[in-house]
Amino acid sequence: MKILLSLFIIFFSVNVSAQKKSTLSGYITDARSGEALGTSRIFVKELKTGTIVNNYGFYSLTLPQGSYQIEFRCDGFSTVVREVSLLQNLVINIELEMAIQETKDVRVTGKRSENVTSAKLGQMELKMDQVKTLPAFMGEVDVVKTLQLLPGVSSVSEGGQGFYVRGGGPDQNLVLLDEGVVYNAAHLFGFFSVFNSDAINSVNLIKGGMPANYGGRLSSVLEVNMNEGNLKTLKVKGGIGAISSRLTVEGPLQKDRGSFVVSARRTYIDILTKAAISDTSPFAGSGYFFYDLNAKFNYKISAKDRIFLSAYYGKDIFSFKDNNGGFRVDMPWGNGVSSLRWNHLFTSKLFLNTTISYADYNFEFASSQDEFRVALTSGIKDYTAKHDFSYFPNPQHRIKWGGVYTYHDFTPTSLSAQNDTIVFNTGSAQHLYSHETALYALDEFDLNDALRINAGLRYSTFAHVGPFDRYIKGDGISTQDSLVQYDRSDIIAFYQGLEPRFSFRYLLPDNSSIKGGYAYNYQYVHLVTLSAVSLPTDIWFPTTDQAKPEQGFQTSIGYFRNFSKDRYEASVELYYKGMKNLIEFKEGALPGDNVNDNTDNLLVYGDGWAYGAEFFLKKTEGAFTGWIGYTWAKTERRFPDINEGNIYPAKYDRRHDLNVVGTYKLNETWTFGASFIYATGNTLTLPASWYVQDQNLLFQYGPRNSTRMAPYHRLDLSATRYGKAYKVKTDPLTGQDIQVKKAVRSNWSFSIYNVYNRLNPFFLYVDNDGDFMSGDFSISVKQVSLFPIIPSVTWNFEF
Amino acid sequence: MELRILKYFILFLGIITLWSCTKEVKIDIPGYKEQLVVDGRIETGQPAIVLLSKSNNVYSSTNFQSYLNSFVDDATVVLFNGTQTDTLTKICTDDLPPGLEQVAASIFGLPVEVLVNLHLCAYVSLNMVGEEGKMYTLQITHGGKQYNASSKIQAPIALDSVYWKPEGNFNDRGFSWAKLSDPANSSDAYLWEVKYLQDGQFSKTFNPYFNDKFFNGLTFDFAYENPMSFEDTTSNNPYRGFYKLGDTVVIKLSKIGLKEYNYFEKKYNQIYSGGSPFAVPTNIPTNIEGGALGIWVAYAPWFDTLVCQ
Repeated sequence: MKILLSLFIIFFSVNVSAQKKSTLSGYITDARSGEALGTSRIFVKELKTGTIVNNYGFYSLTLPQGSYQIEFRCDGFSTVVREVSLLQNLVINIELEMAIQETKDVRVTGKRSENVTSAKLGQMELKMDQVKTLPAFMGEVDVVKTLQLLPGVSSVSEGGQGFYVRGGGPDQNLVLLDEGVVYNAAHLFGFFSVFNSDAINSVNLIKGGMPANYGGRLSSVLEVNMNEGNLKTLKVKGGIGAISSRLTVEGPLQKDRGSFVVSARRTYIDILTKAAISDTSPFAGSGYFFYDLNAKFNYKISAKDRIFLSAYYGKDIFSFKDNNGGFRVDMPWGNGVSSLRWNHLFTSKLFLNTTISYADYNFEFASSQDEFRVALTSGIKDYTAKHDFSYFPNPQHRIKWGGVYTYHDFTPTSLSAQNDTIVFNTGSAQHLYSHETALYALDEFDLNDALRINAGLRYSTFAHVGPFDRYIKGDGISTQDSLVQYDRSDIIAFYQGLEPRFSFRYLLPDNSSIKGGYAYNYQYVHLVTLSAVSLPTDIWFPTTDQAKPEQGFQTSIGYFRNFSKDRYEASVELYYKGMKNLIEFKEGALPGDNVNDNTDNLLVYGDGWAYGAEFFLKKTEGAFTGWIGYTWAKTERRFPDINEGNIYPAKYDRRHDLNVVGTYKLNETWTFGASFIYATGNTLTLPASWYVQDQNLLFQYGPRNSTRMAPYHRLDLSATRYGKAYKVKTDPLTGQDIQVKKAVRSNWSFSIYNVYNRLNPFFLYVDNDGDFMSGDFSISVKQVSLFPIIPSVTWNFEF
Repeated sequence: MELRILKYFILFLGIITLWSCTKEVKIDIPGYKEQLVVDGRIETGQPAIVLLSKSNNVYSSTNFQSYLNSFVDDATVVLFNGTQTDTLTKICTDDLPPGLEQVAASIFGLPVEVLVNLHLCAYVSLNMVGEEGKMYTLQITHGGKQYNASSKIQAPIALDSVYWKPEGNFNDRGFSWAKLSDPANSSDAYLWEVKYLQDGQFSKTFNPYFNDKFFNGLTFDFAYENPMSFEDTTSNNPYRGFYKLGDTVVIKLSKIGLKEYNYFEKKYNQIYSGGSPFAVPTNIPTNIEGGALGIWVAYAPWFDTLVCQ
């Protein structure tokens, strides 16, 4: 009896000391538009703990019952403080107002830098209002170009849109637009991205410490989130620029319940060239243009359910005609991405997002001369479904788990050709079908006040399935070509792998922290290129029985510190990346070589590695803001079948990369921006010697990528003149002057690209002229530069 | 096919360079090493002819004398056909046997009157001519190194027919046409050459080598332009590429091996791409072992005569 009583007292005591808990949850939104603020943070003053929202602005905090002062914060918005008596589960939705900014000394109240406290390693977020103040190429604000100004992110080439992250290729970046995959995020051969800045809300780049809920690429994740649309009022905004214009219309479908946003953008280079080329010119009919269309609809079905429908469609169309020569080239390519998402709240602690998406990328190159016609097409269709659960059991843990399935339909290259009535046998278009899946689970938890850990595991699989024809090439002498045919039900190859992910943040005194991480990734889709310059003709190709999955790991560590009350953020990050099963075309491969053959029969495989140090200093507040980023990096490759098996620099190996970016707000009217870029020149392969065979001048190339172009550097300037947002009116009742917000607000954006007219190299080639007999034969190395100094002006409006 | 695609890519490159800026630069290009260049051929009924030269640094002098100095005349060249061995005889242009002047001029691409004053040498098999079905192995010794290559004279493929037809608005100008039945059970590669009946040497078009990748086993018609019209500077521009009504042309379709075709395919790919960044910078794969550049190729010709009517 005494024992029983003792046990009862102990049990009761434990239950008393295990305090009852309740959950505070809700959404944090922008008071102006009702859109979710996906970077908001919640802080509980008494417990010195808190949480962050998910992408949809949802938060959940489970705390011991009691009274608390809760702070709701978001960069650029005024902090809201609420006294909360948490005695049961509560739902509190918060609308944050834009912070009032004073001219000289901008105080963005409620700001608390994530640079030190966040466990996110190698992650960078861009807000569109920040991007829009920077100098823009031809007046086109571009998020990817802005990303290329950050350490660890390099551009492909002059004007190139593809980007390299920490020595990885452009295909190693998972680009998502509202969770739909974008395969070629570039217009105009890479000079602009497909992302219309007016349609975009935020951009998040993860270049290190990739958490387990992302996968499929070795280097990075670029999440681009579209605007949701104003839930409160109809808004129109747009811009008219030197070479393109855009228009966005957004508004409520049902006030505070559902909204829509539609954005369109089009260049008019074709109209300008049409005016410049007369109808009688041999080049009449030549031109180029691109367009983008973004649309998004969202609706709150109930307090627990919300749906989002996003769509993007964009196309580039290039055509060239030489009517005298009977020659014509047409080159259309484009992306279509759509996603349907459903948010569901099971409980205040358990959140689900379900997404189904469709991605369609296609490219065509069609050419004709007199009666000879040739067409090359390439395409990808992805059908994806995913579930992502978020569970917030208490402030110490943020647990996620989920799964994703993708059905891939690739058409790497399809060639057709005919001469008058003769149709050449180019084989039928090859489709490659596959199923890709992944399951993951992760927990971000605070071990103690100083140490936060994000640990996760991802399991991925890939199955290459039929129908498929495998060509086996003979030597043409003793063995002939043969064909193995697989049916729809055949599994031709199957791969699987575990992908551990780990990152930590350890808080140090003096407002600093150390962060580190490790990630292992599999990549099942690949981009192979035939050229030294990135082109839409680059081929996306899936893993097959021949082409194995790429695998890679990245380990990184960094020191992060804020100064002067978070006005300055600084960091140093070191990383090392190892990759295997990288893919290249074998030496001598030509477009069309895979006719009556498989593309992967032309591929070779090898390893790569990259390492570097990134230094970053950012000023976040004040009239003057900006950053300096410097990267020292090295990235190399080794392929047994390339460069005689010797190690060679990767195409995008850049030893030094310096970016200096600044924005100065002079007053309410004028804001100035500047960016300076310096980068070591790109590598390339040039002929090291010449020789003559059968009276033809021929070249022998040196080792792969052994030549380096001249360094790239450029200064861009911008100035934005804002019209007055308010006008003075006399109040008819009081007779006093009052400020009334203008219905139409506008600004003029002036930009100068390449201020000191540096002729940066786009590519180099070896040219020859004359002949030996005449004595004027010469060989020289020529450099082609693309963009001299280019001024531009854009008029932006909003009402 | 690929060359046409490349041609279109190169034109496309030209469009971009129209509105770009080009300047000459001097940058470090590592990787030069002097290599022997072999330019050798043999065909049915003809002796083997081998030219040897050296490769030059891309920044080296390109005057005429430097070009002449690159030719090699101190090698030993031996030919073996499976049963016989012949050490090739060195014949030099300043000591040509009578009757070989035009042959030498076509080999070196220099006028006879210039050639006879120069010391340029070729190696010729005076004791062996090509025979169908035989494998010819070349062995070169130079500078203490040895180089080897083999090539086989295959059975020639006959054209079904050759004909001419007027082109476009012309009644008296047109291309040469041929009908070819490609064997279905093998991978085949060809060289197309032509000459006027009265000419001594054959000429090649811009794209004379092709294989049967797109027409294996098919019977089909194809056309080629007149390469001699591009050499003749007195020709009127509108008629460049055409044969005239009444021309008599000897057509020579030679069969070559696949490895040899691979050399020529990559060679013309390099010529057409002209260093374009849109093309892979590829070295032309030689069939010569030992570290030399160039080609040793055996041809199996088929001849036909076309009267343009």
